[in-house]
Amino acid sequence: MSPNLTMSPDLGKEDWDPDVITRMIFIGPGAHVSEQEIVSEFHMLGLPLTIKNTCYGSMISGKSEDVYKAIEEIRKLDPSHIFTKERGFAPGDPRRCRGHRFGPREGFHQMEKEYRILGFVSEALDNPKEVELEEKKPIEVDEFKKIMNECLENKE
Amino acid sequence: MVKIAIYPPNSLILADLLERKGHTPLVLQKQIRQKIKDPEIDSPPMNITEEDPIKGLKYAAIEVPSGVRGRMAIIGPLIDEAEAAILVDGAPYGFGCIGCARTNELSIFLLRNKGIPVLELTYPTNQDETYVMVNEINEFVDSLEETAGEE
Repeated sequence: MSPNLTMSPDLGKEDWDPDVITRMIFIGPGAHVSEQEIVSEFHMLGLPLTIKNTCYGSMISGKSEDVYKAIEEIRKLDPSHIFTKERGFAPGDPRRCRGHRFGPREGFHQMEKEYRILGFVSEALDNPKEVELEEKKPIEVDEFKKIMNECLENKE
Repeated sequence: MVKIAIYPPNSLILADLLERKGHTPLVLQKQIRQKIKDPEIDSPPMNITEEDPIKGLKYAAIEVPSGVRGRMAIIGPLIDEAEAAILVDGAPYGFGCIGCARTNELSIFLLRNKGIPVLELTYPTNQDETYVMVNEINEFVDSLEETAGEE
């Protein structure tokens, strides 16, 4: 079997529990906390959670009540730079985990794209202000004619 | 608390901004979780079963490719549940998780036709555009709260 194909995983009791959820915690650019600080804080909460340290922040898995409580606490560390989102698969699930397959996992590319504007979003949350955008308009016909004629004259 | 459909349905930024305001974003990951925790699926890596294209018939005609119908079996219930929607347009290639342009078009069409409040945004590329996006989302969510309060 090619390693890129997913295998039939040997799932534990927790993996089948519909009340167990997984959340990803992202630390945006310019955050005042590190991944390690976030993980330590999760451990200090003393909740029954599976906590994983990752390059973008961390991932937590556990009963939904505990997970939401932990997220509420962790957001207080840096409200405008800590972002969270749901994840369907549990941490280390062989169907998605990078350790069992080639290349980045599905979903990573979306994360990569959103991470590029995450800094702007943090800034907008930190210092909300009204901004007027200049609407792009097509060039005037006379102006276009002028440029066209100039180009043609220069060519000759 | 309003249930808001987002597009792309796995967006971190949209889901997070809505959760900050205390609303429920209808994200695809929850549907996938339900799917993979379903003990009736014999082979767990196979997220799409032969039942799904049949369920998808509720949202797309029989002539529509089975790939679209299979995807709609997962996204469709989110559209049914939605009380409002936020759609992001003009995103770079690869933004979103559906992997099928026709499913994207169909889902957006169904959300627009549902008669729920819809906010359509353009994917921001710089600081000012992001300010506008965040402000528009916040204003939209506040207007939903006011409408819910009046009712």
